[in-house]
Amino acid sequence: MDIKKVNQWGEWFVWFLNPLLLLLAIYSEASQSNNVLLWFGKMHPLVLHFPIVLGIAIVIYFLFFPNKPLEENTEKLVLVGNAFMASMVALLGLFLSKQDAYDTDILNLHKWGGLSIALISWLLIYIKNISTSFKKLIALCYLLALLFFTHQGALLTHGENALSIPTPEVKVAEDVKIIDSSLTVYEKAIAPILAQKCVSCHGPEKVKGQLQLQSPEFIIKGGKNGNILNGIQNEEAMLLQRIHLPNSDEKHMPPDGKLQLTLEELTLLNKWVKAGGNFTKKISELAKTDSLAILAMAYKAPAKGSGENKNNAPDLKQYNSSYLTVNYLFNGSKDIEVNFFQGSFYKTEQLKNLEKIKDNIVSLNMQGMPITKEDLAIIVQFTRLKKLNLNYTNLQITDLQVLKNISGLINLSICGIEVNQSSLKTLLEKAPFTEVHLWTNHSSEKEFQQLSASNKKVKIIIGDNLDAEIIKLTSPIIDQDSSIIAGSLDVVIKHFLKGTVVRYTTDGTDPDSLSSPIYTKKLRFTKNTILKTKAFKPGWISSDMVQKTFYKSAIHPDTIYFVTNPDKKYAGIGAKTLIDYELGEKNFSNGKWLAYKDATMKFVIGFKQTRPLQTAYFNAFIDNGSYIFPIVSIMIEGSNDGKEFKKLNEAKFPSLKETDVVRENKSFSCSIPAGASYKYYRFTLLNIKKLPTWHPGKGTPGWIFVDELFLN
Amino acid sequence: MNEFLEHGLNQNRRKFLSKLSLGIGGLALGSLMVPGIFDASNEEDLFANVLPHFAPKAKRVIYLFQNGAPSQLDLYDYKPMLQKMHGEELPASIRNGQRLTGMTAGQAKFPLAGTKFNFAQHGANGGWFSESIPHIASMSDELCIIRSMYTEAINHDPALTFFQTGAQVGNRPSMGSWVSYGLGSENKNLPAFCVLLSTGKGNGQGVYSKLWNNGFLDSIHQGVQFSSGEEPVKYLTDPEFIDRGDKRKILDEIASLNQEAYNNIGDPEIVTKIQQYELAYRMQMAVPEITSLQNEPESIVKMYGPECLAPGTYAANCLLARKLSENGVRFVQLYHQGWDSHGNLPAEIIGQCKDVDRPSAALIKDLKQRGLLDETLVIWGGEFGRTNYCQGALSKDNYGRDHHPRAFTIWMAGGGVKPGVYGETDDFGYNINSLPVHVHDFHATVMHLMGIDHEKFTFKHQGRRFRLTDVAGKVVNEIIS
Repeated sequence: MDIKKVNQWGEWFVWFLNPLLLLLAIYSEASQSNNVLLWFGKMHPLVLHFPIVLGIAIVIYFLFFPNKPLEENTEKLVLVGNAFMASMVALLGLFLSKQDAYDTDILNLHKWGGLSIALISWLLIYIKNISTSFKKLIALCYLLALLFFTHQGALLTHGENALSIPTPEVKVAEDVKIIDSSLTVYEKAIAPILAQKCVSCHGPEKVKGQLQLQSPEFIIKGGKNGNILNGIQNEEAMLLQRIHLPNSDEKHMPPDGKLQLTLEELTLLNKWVKAGGNFTKKISELAKTDSLAILAMAYKAPAKGSGENKNNAPDLKQYNSSYLTVNYLFNGSKDIEVNFFQGSFYKTEQLKNLEKIKDNIVSLNMQGMPITKEDLAIIVQFTRLKKLNLNYTNLQITDLQVLKNISGLINLSICGIEVNQSSLKTLLEKAPFTEVHLWTNHSSEKEFQQLSASNKKVKIIIGDNLDAEIIKLTSPIIDQDSSIIAGSLDVVIKHFLKGTVVRYTTDGTDPDSLSSPIYTKKLRFTKNTILKTKAFKPGWISSDMVQKTFYKSAIHPDTIYFVTNPDKKYAGIGAKTLIDYELGEKNFSNGKWLAYKDATMKFVIGFKQTRPLQTAYFNAFIDNGSYIFPIVSIMIEGSNDGKEFKKLNEAKFPSLKETDVVRENKSFSCSIPAGASYKYYRFTLLNIKKLPTWHPGKGTPGWIFVDELFLN
Repeated sequence: MNEFLEHGLNQNRRKFLSKLSLGIGGLALGSLMVPGIFDASNEEDLFANVLPHFAPKAKRVIYLFQNGAPSQLDLYDYKPMLQKMHGEELPASIRNGQRLTGMTAGQAKFPLAGTKFNFAQHGANGGWFSESIPHIASMSDELCIIRSMYTEAINHDPALTFFQTGAQVGNRPSMGSWVSYGLGSENKNLPAFCVLLSTGKGNGQGVYSKLWNNGFLDSIHQGVQFSSGEEPVKYLTDPEFIDRGDKRKILDEIASLNQEAYNNIGDPEIVTKIQQYELAYRMQMAVPEITSLQNEPESIVKMYGPECLAPGTYAANCLLARKLSENGVRFVQLYHQGWDSHGNLPAEIIGQCKDVDRPSAALIKDLKQRGLLDETLVIWGGEFGRTNYCQGALSKDNYGRDHHPRAFTIWMAGGGVKPGVYGETDDFGYNINSLPVHVHDFHATVMHLMGIDHEKFTFKHQGRRFRLTDVAGKVVNEIIS
């Protein structure tokens, strides 16, 4: 074969391999090998000897025979061959590195070292023309790299002491990492989960439901309901059933209030049982991509007791649940604060569980928990407690006497617990507290202030008692967004304060506290109605009245067209905006409004036959901050030919005062004299042409915004 | 598992695959690569172990944001000089060529507008309050009033965004998101960061969800906006025919499908989704119990004002904020709109004060009587202040004020701040005379109160480590008790 061609191919390969190598090395953490690649990888220890020997030979050649060069092509063959081998070895090494849990530090060193060897050997091909001394330097570096990094590789495969002089002392290699994959799935993950979360009740100490879970024999034996791994085929294994029941279910395991399984642990147990609940299968026997293997490898049993925390403080994870947080005050602190949330989930066991860390707890918040004297007896054991919150608990003030035994308890909150002057006095006698927060219905500020004055040591903070204060009720809420009655419309009135009486009228009169009907159930309107409503409650000032007009939309014109066009920005969907039964609410830029400022609003509605009208109602928006003022006047004219109009009526409306801050929808109406009946009606709605002097826009025209016309 | 690390690695994997597809040569090998396993140590847990950096004074924050910028000159920063010089021109030496907004830059005159309201000093620390906020004034001894706040932005959106995220451009995490990320949730059944909105009658400015955005943090940290209707969280109740157990099963199945999708695609947002469903499931139990206002005693209702029972009002939001906060929500963010009084200020501000005065004061009182004020930081303030000169026409007792970022007032209460008055503006209320507090300083201080060193609390994103305070911010130690 032509040696030149071999060199050419070799060079190409080297140029292909090295960038790939670099890429794979950089992203190697994210990638995972498969079996084929692993098999290739296993050749790494075999192939690596070639480039080492070749490499050393090349170094010797560069160092000692600078003046007796080989034939050009032969030299290149050696160099290219070396580079090819070196990159191949590195590539295979990368594949191999995925196989086992090697010491990461050494592995990394070896990986990057091997890579650098491959790269230098690649470089060596092209340094033919540089000075001899420089060549020698590179060769020397190459040699050193070769020796050092391959030695790291030897350490990986043959152990740390591979090339050191044997010492008589036979040391047990403590730092040799347990290669996790050689463990069984059960040993690595399942047993630790069971030990931590189940064995306290299903184990040698307590045998609930005749079930013990501390070893495979007992697990296989099962409990009073038989084998817990049974029913694997139809996924009905008892173990899986129990752990997957909702927390609220009585049979849910671990029971509510105990430390729950994490999602990861649930998945592990689930997959393990579904895979057959095997006790002997090693992780390494499972496929690398098997999710059970992946999860089992990644599972780290929570550290027990001593260990991870810097200051040797206990790990608090196990005490935390969805309704309870147990935390160190800050990083490095040994002091613990405990917060209970949501009384309906409270269980005494949760508090009892904290006894193990009782000497570290300095702050305890039990606000709203339904606790009893028994719970209090547990709390008293937390002797380092400084701050305790017992607001709105079911305790009596007399129960609290025991708290005096906590000598460091300075801050106590007992809002919502019934107290009077004498009971508080008894509580404060010889008590350690310096700050007490309290509030009850009957607390009279004066009494407690006296107590406070006579007991300088304690700061008594009494909440406001506003029983005596008389304030105004809020208005009822008319809970119906629509104000258009098509057929009929149901209207609900709401008030949120207990004991409030809501009265209403529909006849236009103002509701009073005696004769107006009391609202009890939803109202049904079938004709134009002005609903007025007001709230009353003894001991309160009655609310402001609220009112809302509901329009019966009885008549729908056949045509509608503008005489003057609205402002381009607020043109809605044209003249039809007025009769589309859609109200614009309080957002004047939502395209449901027609607005006029410079022009006067004029439009015509038409019917096929003459049609008598009684009243026209316009729904308008007013927002003086945005220069939107009430309609000044409405004029209605009638015509039968659409050309000659006759004035029928004109209604005028009051403007705003300087003190008004208005941002609301308002109805404007104009009646039509009886007997008038026309085909066409023309409406002219006047806006304010000069805003008053008190307004920021004084002198300029104000806007009118109209979204709907109702006729009957 | 660890989303942050996973996310990082997934990025690498994506980059890796895309590089391969560029034809570097490993296409064949690329197809043999499968998504990796990530058995690195749990980085977020590490974070949780490190934070708080030191003993926190405040465990929770309730931020009463007064959106639109209330006028400090009509509420807290009493300037008799302005009343004396009412209608006279703002001296050029005071304005000093400073830029103004487009709304008043074109004005020919800048007549000074003295406040229409009477002021009085309240409490031991001598803070001045206008007659329009009697209830807040009555809490003077609890308040740390900063009269020397200043910001860089001059318009609402950037100023709001700056206050909430530490940057004027969007897409950075909100304060609450940072807190959620750093300290996590106290109560696992509620989001760590909740948002409540209300609107006053005054001239309003919008609030946008970008203000409570998680930015580059995991989306589990974004603020959860509560609805202003009767159900603060919508669709929480299960349909009649689905019981809790069924729901659990449904969620488990969805979670396993999502997990599968995650295994295939590796998008960390999928994991977030699983967590969000779980949170929603737990919220179903927690939220109705917590948000129910029915069991509040009448005395509480009177304290916040009876409006507190009408959902969606500022008063109701204050009461809800207290309930969420005492149930372990780290950061409750309120926004009350309507403070942007460019015109007709005296009338508008009375309405706004009516909305917020009583409930704001009640919140402090309520926390205090429960013994929670010392661990809850309450913040009250807008995005900037308002000018001492009048926008538009000035009359004897009507005026408007434009945006003023150079000096304005906010206050804080509880949570380890020292009651008192901090900082001072000049006689015109235009420039700061002493002890200026920049928005970054404010952020640094709030973080400090929560036990976080703002310089160490970072998140690496797009090759750079980000902080709430960016590259600035000094803790204002003088206001910390």
